[in-house]
Amino acid sequence: MAVRTTAVLWTVGVTAVLAGMPFVVRERLPDRLATHWGLGSEVADGSMPLWAASLVPALLWLVTAAGATVPLLRARATAARPWTAAVLLPTGIVLAGSQAAVVRANLDRADWREARQPGAWIVVVLVVAVLAAVAAWFVATRRARAEGGTGSPDSGAPALRIPDDRRVAWFSRTVNPWMQLVAAVTGLVAVGILVAAVGGLADPGGLWAAFAACAVASLSCALFSSVQARVSERGLEVSFGPLGWPTRRWAPGDIDAARAETRGPAQVGGWGYRVSGLGTTVMLRAGECLVIRPRGRRADFAVSVDDARRGAALLNALRTDRSA
Amino acid sequence: MLLSLDKSDTRPLHEQVAGAVRRAIAEGECGPGDRLPSARDLSAALDVNVNTVLRALRGLRDEGLLEFRRGRGVTVAEGAGPHSGLQIRVRELVAEAARLGYSRTDVIDMIRGLP
Repeated sequence: MAVRTTAVLWTVGVTAVLAGMPFVVRERLPDRLATHWGLGSEVADGSMPLWAASLVPALLWLVTAAGATVPLLRARATAARPWTAAVLLPTGIVLAGSQAAVVRANLDRADWREARQPGAWIVVVLVVAVLAAVAAWFVATRRARAEGGTGSPDSGAPALRIPDDRRVAWFSRTVNPWMQLVAAVTGLVAVGILVAAVGGLADPGGLWAAFAACAVASLSCALFSSVQARVSERGLEVSFGPLGWPTRRWAPGDIDAARAETRGPAQVGGWGYRVSGLGTTVMLRAGECLVIRPRGRRADFAVSVDDARRGAALLNALRTDRSA
Repeated sequence: MLLSLDKSDTRPLHEQVAGAVRRAIAEGECGPGDRLPSARDLSAALDVNVNTVLRALRGLRDEGLLEFRRGRGVTVAEGAGPHSGLQIRVRELVAEAARLGYSRTDVIDMIRGLP
C-alpha cells in the first residue's frame, strides 16, 4: 500500500509543481517564456505562452507517470517493481528541475529573448536525476528481494514421469490478435508514409522520422504477436513472431527449476517482452505462464503459454534425468 | 500438446511420427482448427529429419486428419478426433491380424463377411 500511496503522491505533487510554478511567479515573468535553447547557445530559440509553458510539461509528466502508476494501482499483489521507481523518480526530477530552470531563466526579464540558457542548472538536475534513479533501483530491488526471496525454487515443482524408452516433446503456442492488428495497421501506415515520402508529397524530413517510428512499432508488435514454446531433450526453446525468430534456448542442465504460475500484464508492466521485479516475462495474454529459473541467475524467465503445468513438469523431469 | 515416440519401435520413422500425432489428436491434445508446430520445430524436438516429419504430415493429410493451409501452416481438421481414434484401432487390427498370419485381404474379407 505504501508503495502505491507514494507513487500517487509523487505523481500529483510533481504535476502541481510543474503546472503551478510559472503561475505563482507570473507577475515577474514576460508574456511568453523562453523554453528552448540550442546546444551551446546562450540565446533562446523557442518560446511558449505562459499557459502552455505550465501545461505542456505537466501533461507530458501525467502521461508518463500514468503509464507507470496505473498498472501499479491495478495490480492485485504488490509485486516488486524496481523499474517503476527507477523511471518515476528521475523523470519527475528532470521535469521539475527543468521547469524550475526555465522559470528562473525568465524571471524578471521583459522579453523571452533576453532569457539566458540555464546551463549549470540543467547539468545539476541531470546529475541529481541519475543519482536518484540509481538509488531508487537499489532500494526497490533490495525490498523486492526481502519480500519475494522466500521458498526454495524446487519446492512444489511438478515433475512428469517419462518411461526410459520414450522420447517426449511438448509444444505450446500463444497468439495475441490485438498485437497482430496493431502490427498490421502500423505497417500499413509505414508503407503509406514511405510512398508519400518517395513520391514527394510532403516534406521528407519529418516523414522519414514518422516512417522509422511506424516501422519499428510494426516490427516489434509483429515480433511479440505470437510466441512458441517447445520442451524436448534439447531443453526449453522459446521463439518469437510469425517466423519463429529470434529464439532463446536453455539446455536442461542450464535450468534450476521450472513451474507454472498465473501472471497478468498489470504485474509485469504491460504486454510484450517485459523486465520487472519478477524477472523477464514474455506477456501475450493474462493467465498461465511457464516460469523457469536459469542456472546461476537470480531472476526468472517466464512466457505466457497454455498448458504450462505440463511443460514445466516435463522440463523438471528432463532436468533431473540429466543430472541423475 | 505432448508428443511421444517409442525409442524401441522398429517401424519406419515417418510412421512413428504419424502415429504420435494421430494419438495426440485422438487423446484431445489438439482439437480441430488448432495449429500444429511447424515441421522444422517438430523435427528439432523429436530429433527426426524434417523430410521424415513432412512425409508423416502429408500421410495424415491424406487420411483427412490434417489440413495444409497456405499462410496458416498445418491445422487439425474438423472431426479429426474420433476419426483418428478409429484409424488407430484399424491399424491395431491389421497389425494383430498380421501377427496371427492373416493378410490385409483376409481381414477385408472377414469384414465383408460380417452380417
